[in-house]
Amino acid sequence: MTLLRLLVLLAVFAASPAVADRAALSAGLCAPSLGDQIAALGALAEAGATGGAEDARWAQAIVAAVEGRNLRCATDGVFIGEGEAALDAATLAPRPAPAKAAGPPVNNRLRAAAASAAAVLKLFTDFNPAVRAAAVGALERRREALNLTIVDAALANEPDAGVAAALEALRARLLLADAEPANRIAAIEAVAANATLRNRTLIAEALAGETDVAVQAAGAAALAQVDRSLALGRVLATLYSGLSYASVLLLAALGLAIIFGLMGVINLAQGEFIMIGAYAAWFVQNAIRTVAPGLLDWYLLAALPVSFLAAALVGLVMEALVLRRLYDRPLMTLLATWAVSLLLINLVRVTIGTQNLEFHQPFYVTGGVPILGDFIVTLNRLFAIVVAVAAFFGVVALLRFTTFGMNVRAVAQNRAMAGAAGIDARRTDRLAIALGSGLAGLAGVALAPLYNVNPNMGAGFIVDSFMVVVLGGVGSLAGAVVASFGIGQINVVMEPIYGAVAAKVVVLLLVIAFIQRRPEGLFAPKGRR
Amino acid sequence: MAVNGLFRVVAVALAALTLALPVLGGPFASTGFGISPYLANIIGQIATFALLAMALDLIWGFAGVLSLGHGLFFAMGGYLIAMHMLKAGYVQQGIVPDLMTFMGWTDLPSFWAFFESFPYALALILLLPGLVAFAYGWMSFRSRVSGVYFAIITQALTYVAMLLMFRNDTGFGGNNGMTGFSRLLGMPIGETSTAVWLATASTAATLAAFLLCGRLVASPFGRMLVAVRDDEARLRFLGYDPVWPKLAVWTLSGVLAAVAGALYVPQVGIINPRLLSPEVSIEIAVWVALGGRGTLSGAVIGAVVISALKFWLTGFAPDLWPFILSILVLVVVVGLPNGLTDLRLPCLTAMRRLRREP
Amino acid sequence: MSLRISRRRLLRTAGATAIGAAAASFPVPGLIRSARAADAVKLGCLFSSSGAMANVEGRLTSVVRMAAEELNAAGGVLGRTVEVIGTDPASDWPLYAQLGRQLIQQDEVAALFGCWTSVSRKSVLPVVEQEDALLYYPLHFEGEENSQNVVYLNSPPSSSVLPAVEYLMGEEGGGATRFFMLGSDYVWPRTINQQLKGYWSKQGIEAEAWREEYVPVGHSNFQTLVNQIREFADQPGGQPVVILTVVGNSIPDFFREFANQGISALDVPVLGLDALEADFEGLDTAPLVGHLNCWAYLQTASGPRNEAFLAAWAKHVADTGAPYRGDVAIDPMVSVYDGVHLWALAAEKAGSFDVPEVRAASPEVSFACPSGYEIAMMPDSTYVKRGVYIGSLNETQGFDVLWQSDGTPDPVPFSPFMNS
Repeated sequence: MTLLRLLVLLAVFAASPAVADRAALSAGLCAPSLGDQIAALGALAEAGATGGAEDARWAQAIVAAVEGRNLRCATDGVFIGEGEAALDAATLAPRPAPAKAAGPPVNNRLRAAAASAAAVLKLFTDFNPAVRAAAVGALERRREALNLTIVDAALANEPDAGVAAALEALRARLLLADAEPANRIAAIEAVAANATLRNRTLIAEALAGETDVAVQAAGAAALAQVDRSLALGRVLATLYSGLSYASVLLLAALGLAIIFGLMGVINLAQGEFIMIGAYAAWFVQNAIRTVAPGLLDWYLLAALPVSFLAAALVGLVMEALVLRRLYDRPLMTLLATWAVSLLLINLVRVTIGTQNLEFHQPFYVTGGVPILGDFIVTLNRLFAIVVAVAAFFGVVALLRFTTFGMNVRAVAQNRAMAGAAGIDARRTDRLAIALGSGLAGLAGVALAPLYNVNPNMGAGFIVDSFMVVVLGGVGSLAGAVVASFGIGQINVVMEPIYGAVAAKVVVLLLVIAFIQRRPEGLFAPKGRR
Repeated sequence: MAVNGLFRVVAVALAALTLALPVLGGPFASTGFGISPYLANIIGQIATFALLAMALDLIWGFAGVLSLGHGLFFAMGGYLIAMHMLKAGYVQQGIVPDLMTFMGWTDLPSFWAFFESFPYALALILLLPGLVAFAYGWMSFRSRVSGVYFAIITQALTYVAMLLMFRNDTGFGGNNGMTGFSRLLGMPIGETSTAVWLATASTAATLAAFLLCGRLVASPFGRMLVAVRDDEARLRFLGYDPVWPKLAVWTLSGVLAAVAGALYVPQVGIINPRLLSPEVSIEIAVWVALGGRGTLSGAVIGAVVISALKFWLTGFAPDLWPFILSILVLVVVVGLPNGLTDLRLPCLTAMRRLRREP
Repeated sequence: MSLRISRRRLLRTAGATAIGAAAASFPVPGLIRSARAADAVKLGCLFSSSGAMANVEGRLTSVVRMAAEELNAAGGVLGRTVEVIGTDPASDWPLYAQLGRQLIQQDEVAALFGCWTSVSRKSVLPVVEQEDALLYYPLHFEGEENSQNVVYLNSPPSSSVLPAVEYLMGEEGGGATRFFMLGSDYVWPRTINQQLKGYWSKQGIEAEAWREEYVPVGHSNFQTLVNQIREFADQPGGQPVVILTVVGNSIPDFFREFANQGISALDVPVLGLDALEADFEGLDTAPLVGHLNCWAYLQTASGPRNEAFLAAWAKHVADTGAPYRGDVAIDPMVSVYDGVHLWALAAEKAGSFDVPEVRAASPEVSFACPSGYEIAMMPDSTYVKRGVYIGSLNETQGFDVLWQSDGTPDPVPFSPFMNS
């Protein structure tokens, strides 16, 4: 029986000489030195590239095992997995691994080489051109397992014209140190096509020892071109940072501006309404996860109305129990709303806990899109910007085109006169508070992918958001927008120069000084005080 | 008038404590009615809170200007005395302050000069906060920033100060603040006798301020303040300029708060920018609102009751304290517009009725 | 209003005041606590369950309770049951000192377990020194301090930060030559970075090879700083790394921005000196795989001691309903657990709960730490010798062991690289 199995094995070995290669290749990963392990990954990639599709798929399995820390080294071979369930790395056939076999330590250098090898192997195994194009993109950055032989094999193999063009560009880039000056120029131009600082460094380093005049000229031109893109990218990045900061400020301040404009009440619990909105979003997420896990990615959108209503409800309760008794004592509402905020924080702390909530991050708030140079539009901030803009225009439309909006404007201008004209001012107050609190709830959803969600998250927004409101002017939505953009942009421009704190300090001091000169803010109704 | 009665009770209580502390906390400390150093320390801290609340009540209760930034002046006094203690320890005993070690400084920045001298530090404690208060008040009151605006902006100012002080490069120890004090006026900090001495000084200072402010608010100047509070526009039409009385009392309030801070910090042994956080400043307003604005005794009682409750509860029921505080504030703000002093009126009427009946 | 007071009224008010003062001085907390077992020996905890530190600090009180239960189940210490008194200093540094004083003077605790940030330890330090009490401090920290009233349960930089930085500069770590130090602006990051700069200077590395930036504690918007890191990393000069000493909620905020801007650990690894499993609870860590931390314990440490500890913690959370995750264990939890057991062993050895005797007996006892190392206090300082782990972040919000020390290196309280 055993003899028979041995004979069959021998027959298999004899029939396909590649198997012996495979054993040697996988054994290379178990070499004692890190350099040899990395070289083995390169050899593995090359074997996959130059062999058939079968070899590529086998190499892919080995590389995946390295990345998944699943490779085990033993004296009688290399294994994927542990114990009885293990596979022999050379044949991918089941073969029990000895106990306590350890794999190579997967540090970042090995991981980088494995990522590079995995990208190479995708070029030969994946049928989807988009995946192959992404793999070429990855290889541009991670060349540990890449060489000309592989690129040429991939080019010979590539049916898709777009991917082939990308491969040509990749090939050109590999020739940065080629003996032929024309190749070096082509390489410089290919590298400069993606104007990142990293590529600029690559070109500059390649030019350091350059003696050929034509290459030097091409290099200087390429550097100038990259520098222009980088400068533009930097300006765009600063603008985007300012915009995203402004959207956070606006989201936090919009509801506050409505309540303050109507009743002269500064709601110190506004930050906690944001927190409630974020917690409501978390509950929506959990509900969708149990009811319809397939739709989990869309929970943030589903949470928008829920969080709005949850925060509006809390606002209404606060109005009914506390604020309505204090309409003639605005300073006391400061203390009362502070007490409400303290109560809300501690209620949440005791019932749910102090830890940061876990939010699933859907694809539309994860990662970023590179635009130009090193300027990347991060999607979680884009989400906040979109919600802020939508909320702003929604509120403007509501105030401009509905009866409720007209009532709010009337009461804000002259409470007594509006009452005389038949407007129920108290009812308007209630609705406005519901709206203002609800907007804070929306902010909670928009900020959940940006910030940590915990009971104390609201505290950070109070001072910033009421500076926006005070600077913008009583009840002026346009003022709130201008103020948040101004504060956001000035902050972002100053931060790299003076540091995060100094920037904030200077901005707040500017606002305070401005208020001393113009207590009514940027945009204020005309009138005497 | 009933308020006068309460005023006397508070004044006598403060006087009694000032006299009793050195005796009961000193030779009799370990007897049955003695005051342990721990209790003396607590009494001392609460006394500084009472002084702080009084300072705020002067400007809010009497002149109607709510400041949500009194933590700024309190912290100023605290930082100045802390700088004195650290510098004196460094110069006289060679104790290197922590902030020099972790900032890699070989010497303290120039603005620490002369701080080893107590009279210099004391002069700054009285002058600097007064100057800052004056400058800020002059700007605000002249442009008629008032009401909620003033409250918000004072809070923003304090917040700015907190951000600045949290920076280590500002030169005041950053988040770490200042700690590890060794001596004050030659007395070793942390010794029993020093704790009692500091507590006595705190109650004495509070008593002195209480009597002084009592005089002040009962004077014509005090009535002017109340007029500012009740109808500033009318006062202007009558030909008075409300800016100067407001400015004067605002500056005095700032100085009193700084004195309270200077007494507080040696007793807790640490100062850091937390004192400048919005919550601390709001809490001061809460003391005054709960005790009752517009009466000095109300402010003192509010500060004493709330901070004593806080000391007691954070020790054994830490989770409960924020609930009690917030509900207390809501009940008082909604139901008792003049704070706990409102409770006294029903009691008094009930007592009068009892007296009349037999 | 008149300040003239009649004699009778004075007497009456004075009498009322005296009664009031007597009532105030009555030790009410003592009254409530007297219901507890009179012969219990008390341990005090100073860990915040509210405020900025609550997210990580709160769970340590539960660990102390769990360790005390273990001691009580084995018959207590010196025949007395162990009682744990928890407090909430609310992440407010002065309050740590205040409550510490209260625990020592009013509750007469035998030992204190507490503090996370160095600021809070510095705040309690004068109190424990004046009262000659013992504080067991469970965090790895900046060193430069050696008080006989503090037992430093975790490592100073010489046996945590330096091995990790050496690893990053070595072949396996990628041969780092350039360093971006980003920290929260307070004593721990400042001191660590001072020492690192001194260390690199002695290695002959020029000052151009590093950059130092600080953000306020609690800072959350890292857009600009991540941009700066990318610019720094993409310049010529060799492999860059980030030495991250931001604390608390800034840690997840930083990593979120880092991942969203598409920077991978394979290009710019981040050594998060205060980064713990708990900091990544709300994050998708797939794009963050490969970032590093270094502690004296990692949850993935192998060995039966760790298995027993993890099982005990899961059971404790389930039994008490404590609002923490039963399946996450972090280094400070293990350190404070070690601390309770080291204290109990020392008290048994000394035959007394008196601080000087417990302190004297402390170097003579050792404890089998869940990390797998046998740990003990140094004979010539109050530092505890711990093993060193370097962890690598994985896809499931945990850290895999990348490297661990052969034994427990001697901690060096005062760094030779400080201000050099």
